[in-house]
Amino acid sequence: MFTRRDFLKTSSMVTLGLGSSALLPRFLSRTADAAPLSGKPGAKDTILVVVQLTGGNDGLNTVIPFKDPLYARYRPTLKQPVDQIKKLNDEVGLHPALGGLASLYEDNALCVVQGVGYPNPSQSHFRSMDIWHAGSTAETLREGWLGKALGRLNNAPAYHLGAENEAAPFAFAGAPIKVPSLTSLEEFQLRTAAASSPDSKAQRAVIEGVVRGGSSPKQESSLIDFVQRTANNTYASSRRLAEIGKNYEPKVPYPASGLANRLKLAAQLIDADLGARIYYVSIDGFDTHAGQEPTHTTLLTEVSEALAAFYKDLAARGQGERLMVMTFSEFGRRARENGSKGTDHGSGAPMFLVGGRVKAGVVGQHPSLEKLEDGNLKHHTDFRQVYAAILDGWLGVPSREILGQAFAPVGILRSQA
Amino acid sequence: MRNLIKRLHLDPAAAWSPYRPSAEQPWNLRRAGHLYRRVAFGGNWNELQQAVQAGPEATLQRLLQGAAPTAELDAQCAGMAKSMIATGDVEQMKALWLFRMLNTPHPAQEKLTLFWHNHFATSNAKVNNVGYMLGQNELFRRHALGNFGTLLQEISKDPAMLVWLDTVQSKRGMPNENYARELMELFSLGIGNYTEADIRQAARAFTGWEIRGEKFFFNRSQHDPGKKTVLGQTGNWGGEDIVRICLEQSACPRFIVRKLFRFYVSETLEPTDELIAPVAEAFRRSNYEIRVPLEMMLRSQLFYSPEVYRTQVKSPTDFAIGIVRGLEGRVGTLSLADALDNLGQKLFYPPSVKGWDGGTAWLNSTTLLHRQNLALALTSTQDARFGRRTDPAALVRKHGKKSDEEVVGFFVDLFLQGDLSDEARQGLLNYLRQARQGPYPVYWSEQDREDHRLRAVCHLVLTLPEFQLN
Repeated sequence: MFTRRDFLKTSSMVTLGLGSSALLPRFLSRTADAAPLSGKPGAKDTILVVVQLTGGNDGLNTVIPFKDPLYARYRPTLKQPVDQIKKLNDEVGLHPALGGLASLYEDNALCVVQGVGYPNPSQSHFRSMDIWHAGSTAETLREGWLGKALGRLNNAPAYHLGAENEAAPFAFAGAPIKVPSLTSLEEFQLRTAAASSPDSKAQRAVIEGVVRGGSSPKQESSLIDFVQRTANNTYASSRRLAEIGKNYEPKVPYPASGLANRLKLAAQLIDADLGARIYYVSIDGFDTHAGQEPTHTTLLTEVSEALAAFYKDLAARGQGERLMVMTFSEFGRRARENGSKGTDHGSGAPMFLVGGRVKAGVVGQHPSLEKLEDGNLKHHTDFRQVYAAILDGWLGVPSREILGQAFAPVGILRSQA
Repeated sequence: MRNLIKRLHLDPAAAWSPYRPSAEQPWNLRRAGHLYRRVAFGGNWNELQQAVQAGPEATLQRLLQGAAPTAELDAQCAGMAKSMIATGDVEQMKALWLFRMLNTPHPAQEKLTLFWHNHFATSNAKVNNVGYMLGQNELFRRHALGNFGTLLQEISKDPAMLVWLDTVQSKRGMPNENYARELMELFSLGIGNYTEADIRQAARAFTGWEIRGEKFFFNRSQHDPGKKTVLGQTGNWGGEDIVRICLEQSACPRFIVRKLFRFYVSETLEPTDELIAPVAEAFRRSNYEIRVPLEMMLRSQLFYSPEVYRTQVKSPTDFAIGIVRGLEGRVGTLSLADALDNLGQKLFYPPSVKGWDGGTAWLNSTTLLHRQNLALALTSTQDARFGRRTDPAALVRKHGKKSDEEVVGFFVDLFLQGDLSDEARQGLLNYLRQARQGPYPVYWSEQDREDHRLRAVCHLVLTLPEFQLN
């Protein structure tokens, strides 16, 4: 297995190769400073893994107020059978498909925050998702909350583990170094058609040389700058990641799903101690306007099984206390189902936090099913309160600067009251 | 991307006044390449030389009319479409469109078809019907350079769209809001120009819109015929009326023109309302003839100014089709379609109804790596998928380039129109010189060595950062 020692050895070799450490992509040269203290209690280099549920997850059918008679009334065809709901307490329980998350709840590794949203909720996928990514409801949004956080994390690396056809999340916009998007370690090789090894070296020197020095006569367009930076990062990451072993053996079996594969990749990168603090994955398909079941069950199963395997794998490696996984969606869905056995866009919904140091349990009441706002569940916790708790309490960066104002943090960490 | 966007404050009259070649702003290879890249997918050597001779207006007209009629190609494609509709083969469907893009004498039409595909973004992931998707593609092509009003009416009844946005499920008493929302938010008006109430009322007008016999069918019994108030107009509206009402809003021409601006003029410069206004007004007065705003923008001072030159990132389609057309080659488009998936653009499968974001979103570490590797596959003649049919060595011989300087100059002019630093150019020449020395496998002939050098240097040109910019 590729150890930290090997990595430090390699990085100094790379420094020589490039000729000047000033030009070395920051994530390589800073990693030694951010070297993890894993194994020591209270290690500072905590990790955040964000899991985005794209499309607007139906929160009402995810964390279910099974005692409330209005639930069955609003959801004639979509209501879940009470005896199969995984009870969290006397009031709410998890959708039957969330067995993996239920087991994490039993292990005290799951925190459920109910009723999360923001004022004047937008029901446009794109505007609402932008709001969650920016951590702001301003009209013009230019930076992401994670991009700004990275700026205060000593330029620690971060990774977006994307599916095919997936753009880098806006949440990373504004990061000091562009966050690379990876789909797999294997694909990450720059190829050349070379007649010999010296030929290959010569070709690579041209390809990589132009983006280090700058090849364009006039730097009028900052777009060329962007391309060069992206290219530089690409080639450097490619070389680094080619070395991370294919020798990874998970401590628990991962299910065979897209999300699980991406989380397994995250687990490998975390275990390889690259010093990355933030990882981002998404799973799409939650925009269930028609025929919500069995689609929603399938999706929740994928999320539940993947998260459970991911956490248990890393916990077994002693990384459980460093890890926090946060799930969110751009909005919940309407309280009443529509005529197509589906649900339309809503607002308030729950968030899940998974990790060795989360405050296990259910935070906040379920939004009232009686006092709806325009047909939607009214939120009582601003999502930026969850962000504030994570930024200040978990990552150790000032939430007030990043979010533009102070938000009272939600108690999601064990050490908090 | 947002950090790269600058707001453009220009005098509209000056910006949109027609470009006339002059000593300060000559008509040259750079501008000809710019026009070809924006309006089509880039030009090959002869096309670029011809364009420099013919001047901007003649070249623009040639591009907008098409170099030759497409009747023969249409028939060929219709035949191929028939068989893949029967088998339901989605890979063939993507390959068919790429085949068209590569072989059409009218690439401007295909480029605009791609624009509409992105604007009315519909994914086969949900539609799951090759016939519907190809039918929608044909609809875009038919109206690409035609009338937007007609296009908007027809797309509302297009079977692929009816399935995609759940209109087929929308019933009297329980309307489904999806189409009404996207019609206003994404297809005609933009956020802020309607209310949630407008959407809910408009949704009622589209009830009963179904598909029967693979075509649009109006099911009166499922239609809500009552009074609806949408965007200030009250009546017993049906879907066509909602579309008409959207077209009557002043926000509509502005919204469409902004999208055309981003696609044809610049991705990094955001025009003010003032700048957009004359183009939007001309569009509206013409009753939504697409050629009107297009020509106004494409023959303008602004279009040919340094402010907008290379201010877009090539889409995967621009990137790949540009290389193959530039190399004057033929490739199997099934493999090409597959490669484009890895670059982040799966034709007929946009990631959402918002389409592909474009701009810097196209480039991350994974997609950029795939672009470089695709450029290699297309130029090395070693890749089984593409074989020897896009051979830079053959191209160099065809156009009679011999010395190292001529060869580098040729590739740099063809693919970059000379946009390259002296340092980088020298790097390419150094590579060529040193590659002469080898070592080479013993069984390679002199010809093999020469061909290898030419193909390698072509690949290197295509990996340069400038080549990513449109």
